[in-house]
Amino acid sequence: MDYFATVLISSLSSASILLIATLGLAVVFGLMGVINLAHGEFIMMGAYSALTATQLGIPFILAIPVAVLVTMVFGALVEIIIIRRLYGRLFDTMLATWGLSLALYQGAVLIFGSVSPGIGMPQINFNVGDYTLAAYPIFMILVAAVMLAGIYALLTRTVYGMKARAAIQVPDMARAIGIDSARTNTLTFAIGCGLAGFAGAILLPIVPATPSMGFAFVIKAFLTVVIAGPVTLAGSALAAIGVGTGASVVASFMTSVAGDLFFFILTVVLLRLYPLGVSAKWRIKL
Amino acid sequence: MFKVSDATGGYGKTVIIHDVSLNVWEGEIVALLGRNGVGKSTLMKYMTAIIPAKKGKVEIAGRPAPNTTFGRARVGLGYVPQGRFVFPRMSVIENIAVAAATNGKNATMAVEEALEEFPLLRPKATALAGGLSGGQQQVLALARALAADPCILLLDEPTEGVQPSIIDEIAGTLLRINKERGISMLVAEQDLDFCLSIAERAYVMERGTIRLETDRESLRKDKALQQELLGV
Ligand SMILES: Nc1ncnc2c1ncn2[C@@H]1O[C@H](COP(=O)(O)OP(=O)(O)OP(=O)(O)O)[C@@H](O)[C@H]1O
Ligand SMILES: [Mg+2]
Repeated sequence: MDYFATVLISSLSSASILLIATLGLAVVFGLMGVINLAHGEFIMMGAYSALTATQLGIPFILAIPVAVLVTMVFGALVEIIIIRRLYGRLFDTMLATWGLSLALYQGAVLIFGSVSPGIGMPQINFNVGDYTLAAYPIFMILVAAVMLAGIYALLTRTVYGMKARAAIQVPDMARAIGIDSARTNTLTFAIGCGLAGFAGAILLPIVPATPSMGFAFVIKAFLTVVIAGPVTLAGSALAAIGVGTGASVVASFMTSVAGDLFFFILTVVLLRLYPLGVSAKWRIKL
Repeated sequence: MFKVSDATGGYGKTVIIHDVSLNVWEGEIVALLGRNGVGKSTLMKYMTAIIPAKKGKVEIAGRPAPNTTFGRARVGLGYVPQGRFVFPRMSVIENIAVAAATNGKNATMAVEEALEEFPLLRPKATALAGGLSGGQQQVLALARALAADPCILLLDEPTEGVQPSIIDEIAGTLLRINKERGISMLVAEQDLDFCLSIAERAYVMERGTIRLETDRESLRKDKALQQELLGV
């Protein structure tokens, strides 16, 4: 019994980690329709920013906003210099962001080398019956929930959020009621990148910063957003929790390869059942 | 008050409208008539700067209009496009609120005023705009434009695909808004009766240019002209 409880909790925690790594992409790809193949590298950039900040003596809790700021500013520049010219041009966007991803990866190798130290965080554990669980990964369940609620509130409860969705849904009409769609889109893209940076930073104690860490996240993040469909936030949450938890349960009873296999097979099955994503018929905003 | 001179523009290299000049005086409702494809919608997109100008200029309230679409909206140019283009995955309330808030108005009050003005939207207030009927979307597109507090409103075929009962309601509302808030209007239409019921003056377009300017009475009487220019 305790064993099942621990498996379930730690699987839910892996699913939450997936969701944390996915939410930035849910904004950039799910909401804005930009296929950002460099999403993983934004996570990596967030991780290295937080790592560097802690090495400079900044406490980890303050290193997180630093990472968010760095990735947001970089994201805004990327939008202004590259993405802005390519809205609606899927293939060109993929090519450009793929190039960016390679450049960022190589840049990280040059600057930080290919192995890097972890951050010295005290390991806190707690027990479920005879089993011991590390507290930080479990804490990620709460972080994912708060992050999801925060983005939802930002996009539905604020004037910026309404402008952002209007500018994405019907850009010309957004302009025709006075919204500077171009500026709004830059900010929204930057926020998506900042969320990726947040993920890299908050996950740093679990996922150490390496130049190639982005690859581990980006495929599953994309699949999650694709499974989610048009109602991107609620859909991504459901997809990450459903598929992520399932895959992780399989992984803990079998091997991690079996878990990944389960993830991809379930994705294929879901996309056969819901070609436009599980949320295609939902009548809610996000 | 609203003035367009020598408007020339189109899509890419194709020029659709040539040297169009017209004006709408303060508080006036003017009709823009013409058959399918003469360029009424293109002219409106030129006026809102949704398509770039090849030549010509636009004046709003006596001043040269800004170059951007959002800049023109902010100096009082309202636009209800053909096909409505409400924000589909936003609620009725949000469609109105975002227009008000963008223009520095109190969103809650603007929403309340709009639901007062257009009671048919009230039962749908929290529904997603994309799920409304054509007529409801048309009314919402109008409410959204009004929430931005325009001084001149461009309406592109507000009766298209709308059931007759709502058409009468729209006509009544436009007249009332025009009177109470003094908003000038330019209405592109194929429905002659609708236009005759609200506009005092009309421009008739043919192949991308203004063929003539006329007033309500002469147009109403001149059946031959109606037949020739509008095919009605
Ligand atoms: N997006 C576009 N790209 C290229 N050509 C277009 C586009 N939209 C319209 N046109 C062309 O411009 C011409 C004028 O079209 P426009 O929509 O302005 O006419 P209209 O008078 O509004 O007609 P309707 O009464 O059918 O709405 C048509 O020949 C049309 O084919
Ligand atoms: Mg038209």
